[in-house]
Amino acid sequence: MLVWFLPVFLVFLMIGLPVFFALLIAPGALLWLNGQERDIALLYRNIYNGMDSFPLMAIPFFMLAGELMNRGGITERLVEFAQAMMGHLRGGLAHVNVLSSMLFAGLSGSAVADTSALGSMLIPAMEKQGYTRRFSAAITAASSVIGPIIPPSGIMIIYAYVMGESVAALFLAGIVPGILVGIGLMLAVKVMADKYDFPVASRKYTWGERGQASLKAFFPLLTPVIILGGILGGIFTPTEAAAVAVGYAMFIGLFVLKTLKLSDLSDVFARAAMTSAVVLLLVGAAMAFKTVVSLSHAPETLAHWILSLSDNPLVLLFLINLLLFVVGMFLDAGPAIIILGPILAPIFVNLGIHPVHFAIIMSVNLTVGLATPPMGLVLFVASSVSGERVERIARAIVPFLLVEVAVIFLITFVPAISMTIPRLTGFVN
Amino acid sequence: MTSILLGILSPLAFVNTLAGTIGKRISVVAIALMVAVTLLQVFCRYVLNNALPWPDEAARFLMLWLTGLMGPVALRQGGFVAIETIHQYFSNTALKILSIVLLVMMLIVLVVAIKLGWKHVNSGWLFASSSLRIPLDLIGMKIVKVKLAWMYMSLFVGVVLMTLVTVELLLRQIVRLLGGENELHPIPIVADVKGAE
Repeated sequence: MLVWFLPVFLVFLMIGLPVFFALLIAPGALLWLNGQERDIALLYRNIYNGMDSFPLMAIPFFMLAGELMNRGGITERLVEFAQAMMGHLRGGLAHVNVLSSMLFAGLSGSAVADTSALGSMLIPAMEKQGYTRRFSAAITAASSVIGPIIPPSGIMIIYAYVMGESVAALFLAGIVPGILVGIGLMLAVKVMADKYDFPVASRKYTWGERGQASLKAFFPLLTPVIILGGILGGIFTPTEAAAVAVGYAMFIGLFVLKTLKLSDLSDVFARAAMTSAVVLLLVGAAMAFKTVVSLSHAPETLAHWILSLSDNPLVLLFLINLLLFVVGMFLDAGPAIIILGPILAPIFVNLGIHPVHFAIIMSVNLTVGLATPPMGLVLFVASSVSGERVERIARAIVPFLLVEVAVIFLITFVPAISMTIPRLTGFVN
Repeated sequence: MTSILLGILSPLAFVNTLAGTIGKRISVVAIALMVAVTLLQVFCRYVLNNALPWPDEAARFLMLWLTGLMGPVALRQGGFVAIETIHQYFSNTALKILSIVLLVMMLIVLVVAIKLGWKHVNSGWLFASSSLRIPLDLIGMKIVKVKLAWMYMSLFVGVVLMTLVTVELLLRQIVRLLGGENELHPIPIVADVKGAE
């Protein structure tokens, strides 16, 4: 009987019931039909227990830090720095766009924040230099998915919490994959730049000028060092690191660079509060859902079925990537992770895939899904920032998506890409 | 019919807007305090070499309450994630009816949650928080341990407010179905909602 809750859940989801409610009504209804009313009370308690979490607080904090830096004009300094380094190349601003995304990724854990912050600055600049609007929006959207792959990362915090993994291990495992996505996109830009004769953005900077740009970007670029260094050194937990990043962003914005106004704060705080409320309710519902997932033996049934397709982990990983990619086309990464993580991860961990490796496969794949049509969150943001229609961006982004899919397969079949840094630092044994 | 619905709708909208405005004010302060107490904890541990017992729990207390207060606001603004891909294949009327069905399903969840939440809150009067105290000793009275019910209440209040919001959304959808679209006031936007992505 209870096995039915997954299909029922999917139907509710498909007809447009908000994920939060679908996560509760599907298992709730079946428990009720089964006469297990005590377990429905458990469902409610688990929402509360799932929400009552210090680790999850890192999500609003990292978001706050990113927004404060953006308001404080730190994005501009990062872009100037990227321009000093790569602006003289053919396709200069496209390269600058990718490099800025990689740098911004070290301050913020959100692809949406990345798209809106960098897009509102770089898309008009690119258009002025003769790039088409759809290309500019597409490279912005494609590169912004690096945001949640390079730490910090909201998606990985959620994954770690729901699946009981270490946030630090996931953060560290994301570094190389994130850089790989960046390099892959730059290669794609280079090929296209030679073919279509893209403009250079600026003359070559002298090393003196580069030094000056680096100095101006020094304070913002110190943030990822503080965050990762603090977590790695065991000085603070990821949540504390996030709070330190907020304090640091406020301090340099208000006192050092004096670019932030006190009147900006209330607006930024309200947005962070709203976001954390939505995320927290969703995670709470997911934790309730997870208890019923295990009660129902759905993972075992599903594992049985998946293993009947093939017993070769490599083939199964290939199939799971296809599944995740399709899911990513329709669902945002956060909800997809909290729904599918508890169902899929145990199956693959049993097959001998390291939990951290699987977490990275899943996070990177679903993050790329943020930029895939028809329902790609960052496509919509890129569209609203640039004024270009979603469909046109969706077509222009295809070459970059191909690069990202190639990176996903690389990460999937070469575990060392994700696992080396966490192993060397002792966060994974 | 429409005028009756609009008559019920307007006080409800007023209450929901008021709750949203108050909730936003409290949440802005709450999130600032969350950052502050977490930083205080880091400071005390490293600089004063003396970790405090309460900041972790205090920060969670604040986070739970801002969720209870802002969650309903997000719901009202349509900020809850849903897959709406198939809605483009529906006719206008069919979509309105589907929305009503979905809202009724949400209402069922919320009503059950209110019942369970009330029991949950009441169970919380029996237990005290492990670290949160009201330092009444500062004014010469006894220190009072904070009961867990005060924390449990956050989700309960959230569920109650979400129920009010859902009823409002449901009435609006019925008014729309009856053709009174133009008489509806737009829902005020308190802040943009984003996800963790």
